[in-house]
Amino acid sequence: MNGRFDQTSMIVLKHVSKVYPPDVHGLRDISLHIKPGEFVSIVGASGAGKTTLAKLLIAEERPSRGTLEIGGWDITRIKSRDIPLLRRQIGVVFQDFKLLQKKTVWENVAFALEVSGETRRRIKEVVPHVLKIVGLEQKAYRFPQQLSGGEQQRVVIARALVHRPKILLADEPTGNLDTMNTREIIDVLKKINSFGSTVVLVTHNREVVNALKQRVITLSEGRVISDQAEGKYLLPS
Amino acid sequence: MLIVTSTVRILAFAWKNFTRNAWIGLATVLVLVLSLLSVNVVLGVNAVSQSALKMLEDKIDISVYFKPDTSPVVLETARSYMVSLPQTQNVELLSAEQALVDFKERHKNDPKILAALGELDQNPLGSSLIIKAKQTSDYPFLIEALQNPQFSSSIESKTYDDNAAAIMRVQSIGQSVRYFGLILIAIFTIFSIIIVYNSIRIAIYTQREEMGIMRLVGASNAFVRLPLILSGIFQAIISLAIATGLVTLIIALLDPKLKTLFDGGDSGLLSFFSANAWQLLGIQAAAIIFLVALASWAAAGKYLKK
Repeated sequence: MNGRFDQTSMIVLKHVSKVYPPDVHGLRDISLHIKPGEFVSIVGASGAGKTTLAKLLIAEERPSRGTLEIGGWDITRIKSRDIPLLRRQIGVVFQDFKLLQKKTVWENVAFALEVSGETRRRIKEVVPHVLKIVGLEQKAYRFPQQLSGGEQQRVVIARALVHRPKILLADEPTGNLDTMNTREIIDVLKKINSFGSTVVLVTHNREVVNALKQRVITLSEGRVISDQAEGKYLLPS
Repeated sequence: MLIVTSTVRILAFAWKNFTRNAWIGLATVLVLVLSLLSVNVVLGVNAVSQSALKMLEDKIDISVYFKPDTSPVVLETARSYMVSLPQTQNVELLSAEQALVDFKERHKNDPKILAALGELDQNPLGSSLIIKAKQTSDYPFLIEALQNPQFSSSIESKTYDDNAAAIMRVQSIGQSVRYFGLILIAIFTIFSIIIVYNSIRIAIYTQREEMGIMRLVGASNAFVRLPLILSGIFQAIISLAIATGLVTLIIALLDPKLKTLFDGGDSGLLSFFSANAWQLLGIQAAAIIFLVALASWAAAGKYLKK
């Protein structure tokens, strides 16, 4: 399953543009190179192209021009049947959680393994492990509505980790959270990054970006206007 | 091992879908049952009307009355000629004596007619031929055949002229019923397909969030689609069982009542369904399962594009 990935370059975009018909430009000629194990924040105002970029990375959209490689795998024209393989390599966390309300924490996390055809034994090994990473092992049998926003987001992160992804893509993961829960989520992301996973954080939260002191890529009107190794949130509030 | 695990899990997911969305599933099952019932009702009505037409057609015949002095040789010539025609189903030769016996029997409660008959020295009735055609449309040809010069001059009268209008009407009604039945079946089938497809689309629409999450966490298209198709097939099987039960019950209740309208004869309802039971069940099962599977496959596809 991991055979298509190599460890020298994790995400490579070469002159990528995305145009929505008739002529709305989501991204304009973007070139990026994200190395394995990096923690990268992608920032920008609304409509800057952050979400378009995130959608390209999980093959929810295809680039109009340019090439896109994930772990050495050219996914520019990825076939529909290969998308599940890609998505098992990229853990995804969204602002709106996307949890199944009728399933418990354990079941939500196990769900990602069940749909990939993993055995019951493997599920029993992996689920407690990832719940421990996000600190939810004591709440495994609660339902999402019995958890705080931060805890729900941690369930999503646990679910994203079950396939041991090389990349964790978090699109506005703290958008619905208060300061305390935001800090908890960022701590979990940092922990995951410390295990070696590449973390791509899409956000417009100035405090989070400035506190991280990691690489920051700033987008504006679909273009990269800044790419700093230890960057700060440059845009005006 | 992976195939076995995946198959078991797909079945489990399908069963969960089926049970967890029981109320929406119930609506789909009801639509499917109504669709199957409507098709069976049309088939039943068609069978009964065919039987009614057959009964009417069976009552149609041509009675040819010969003059009383017609010789037995001419009568036999006429009988064998009519029997030899491929359009003829049956020819019965009624002798003058038998005609007299029948006449007396028919009028046994009418002493005046019997008294008048007793006044006559001779049998006033002649022999007659009762001819039945294989098909209603053959009667005009048989009437034409009676113009044969070998015996046409001995014919006193024939009843076809009286029945001609009725024969034509029955023929026309028969054709209309057959065409109308086919058109109704086609219309009901098309309506059923549209209703079933939309009912399944609604059922799948309620699960779009779960489908989106399945895709997000790396489920293959088949893994997303198959449980939905299978739970649709579960619904189709239940619908088929309910519809079969209801159709059986309706036939059991209705057939004895219909028989009285058919003078105790076959109404066509029970005989049609029992003669074609397995064929009908097989075709309806195949059609409904195919339809539901196709509708589920297509409806699920809408959420699998990304």
